[in-house]
Amino acid sequence: MTGIFPSEEWLKGLEIKLNSDERYGQIAKNWEGDLFFFIEPDGNLKEQLTFYLDLWHGKCRKVVFKPQPEAYPNPTFTLSATYKNIASVLSGNLNPMTAMMTSKLKVKGSMGYMMRNVPTVLDFVRCAQEVTKEIL
Amino acid sequence: MQPILKINLSAGETEEYQIPEKWEKDFLGGASLAARILYESLTRELDAFSPDAPLLFMMGPMTGTSGPTTGRFVICGKGPATGLWAESNIGGFWGPELRAAGYDGLWITGKASEPVYLWLNGSRLEVRSAAHLWGQNTYTTQDKVKEEVGEKSARVCVIGQAGEKQVMFASIMCDHGRMAGRTGMGAVMGAKNLKAIAVRGTNPIPVFDLAKYKPLRSESNRRLRDDNEAKILREVGTGGVANYAEYLGAMPVKYYTHGSFENVDGVSGAKMTETILVGRSACQGCVIACGRVVKLGDKAKRKGPEHETMVGFGANLLNDNLETIVDLGELCDRFGMDTISASNTIGLAFHLYEKGLININDTGGIKLKWGDMDAVEQLVRLIGSREGIGDILAQGSRMFGAHFGAEEEAVQVNGLEVAYHDPRGVSGMALSYATSPRGACHNQSDYFFVDWGHTQERIGIEFFSRHAQAEKAANVAKHQDWRTIFNAMVMCIFANVEPDIQVQLINAACGLEWTIEDMMRAGERAWNLKRAINNRMGLTRANDKLPKALLEPFPDGGSAGFVPELEGILSAYYEARGWDKETGRPSREKLVELGLGDVAQDLWG
Repeated sequence: MTGIFPSEEWLKGLEIKLNSDERYGQIAKNWEGDLFFFIEPDGNLKEQLTFYLDLWHGKCRKVVFKPQPEAYPNPTFTLSATYKNIASVLSGNLNPMTAMMTSKLKVKGSMGYMMRNVPTVLDFVRCAQEVTKEIL
Repeated sequence: MQPILKINLSAGETEEYQIPEKWEKDFLGGASLAARILYESLTRELDAFSPDAPLLFMMGPMTGTSGPTTGRFVICGKGPATGLWAESNIGGFWGPELRAAGYDGLWITGKASEPVYLWLNGSRLEVRSAAHLWGQNTYTTQDKVKEEVGEKSARVCVIGQAGEKQVMFASIMCDHGRMAGRTGMGAVMGAKNLKAIAVRGTNPIPVFDLAKYKPLRSESNRRLRDDNEAKILREVGTGGVANYAEYLGAMPVKYYTHGSFENVDGVSGAKMTETILVGRSACQGCVIACGRVVKLGDKAKRKGPEHETMVGFGANLLNDNLETIVDLGELCDRFGMDTISASNTIGLAFHLYEKGLININDTGGIKLKWGDMDAVEQLVRLIGSREGIGDILAQGSRMFGAHFGAEEEAVQVNGLEVAYHDPRGVSGMALSYATSPRGACHNQSDYFFVDWGHTQERIGIEFFSRHAQAEKAANVAKHQDWRTIFNAMVMCIFANVEPDIQVQLINAACGLEWTIEDMMRAGERAWNLKRAINNRMGLTRANDKLPKALLEPFPDGGSAGFVPELEGILSAYYEARGWDKETGRPSREKLVELGLGDVAQDLWG
């Protein structure tokens, strides 16, 4: 399944991709942690958008489109970026490590865990890019 | 800026030197200004260990101002192992203390007739005997000097036994293990019979426009505190990058012969954090706090190693025991020697032993089996005391290799050992190492950060593939110019401060009205000046090279099969720099354009 970013269909498509992609399953086999995304309004996005993904041992256990932050008060990582920067990562115009190292993507959580698992992070981004058919 | 205190140890004379205003404006401070000041005295004939050789402790205009990572200073002179321009950057609290004493530099020449230490209390200088301290390690010397001067708040720079015995990679230490590690400035200090310099100052540290500087300082520190990279460095230290570097095949393993280390996680910053870390430490005013405080079996708090030490005594020697790395790092610190050069040169010994080019007779009975850290410890001790094979190792890897007829096996450039960011994994480091003014240095341009993705759009430092070749040469040159500004200010390269804010800080601190372009031009000016100093001391294009090992592909890991094509990269770099391709000198036109007409006259007549 592919989809238009940002949409619930896109997020569901990413869930299916993460659960079926052999390479991701292998690289992320030790990953334990959920992600809460804040996408800040910018360009075509007029209001803040949120995503939630629960990733565990190479699988995606749950996704939620537009969750309330109170519903997931202690995610392993909270990631926030402007719509433009997220769109640039998804379109391949912004290297995900560049986004992180220049703080275009702000990260809250264990940086040690993140640095230990950079291959997982990069492959997660690859999967997200592959399910992105169009960016609004 | 404040004056520099010139001290002639032979004559026992002092003099205040006022820096020409034009030089301050053109070079700012730190290593750049030091290069301008020492330009005339650094000659090809000068022996780095002679009394005539200068040793300049130089502050930056932001040193001690609690700006973003501005507790640092730099120590400059002629490198004993390289015969080239030498600069060694150091943090801690000593630099700010010197500025508070009313000086922006100490310019040491001459040689004391017996071991001495200096006690600078405000503007009052005493030269005291250090005969009883000669032979003591760095930490003991610091404690004793502090006790003797009777001033708890004094800050002390010291050398250990390695500096006394002129180990070519001897370092200078201040505070709790902060080191000016590279280029052997500790050996130069030892050659002057100078064991330590204690300083105490109580004056406010001058800032040209404090009212303008203060809010910029607050904002830049606030941003730095929240920066992702700063969070990584605070949480897991510089060793936090180990897993990623290994994944990329950018961490050299087994003396630069492999690109994969299965047990990397055992010797990573993350592992240190989970096991032995008990605290963090910071240089003056720094909001990052990348320094590690650890506890081992004896329960004593001690300095934890940073990335270079962890790789040098870890993957480089096939060691996955973190505690031995802590011990060896501390042993090097106590002797006062650079962990990069020490572990690199020891790695060469293991490599030559495996190849049968040295044997057990050469080592004095020590079997050099990869991963045997008892053998490594024995070699470190022999270097520190310059006994047995340690006396040859103490000359650095180039001379060690040459001694056994295998200079080409030494992983060094112009006499300085290569650090642990491999250009086969991050190709920009090929130029960083080949063209650094002080030998194979990763701090004159830590381009590996750019190859990992850390761009600076505002100054045109773009992202290229980490295996790109000549197309990134101009990008590396820009990065070198930018980092030259850091080494002038003197700021830590871990300060992720945006260039727009950086130039505003400079303007407020120095009373300038620069644009970013002016700032970058100042970086380029100093880079070219250091190049000219080296040209005058005999450096040519033939010196811009990489050792054999870095031009052979890794058989394994994330960069297997790749090698940088240095000649093509260099040609593109010379073009971008405006340097003469035949001689390796900056062209006359480039020097004149940068306001270095007198240097152009010296180089080109």
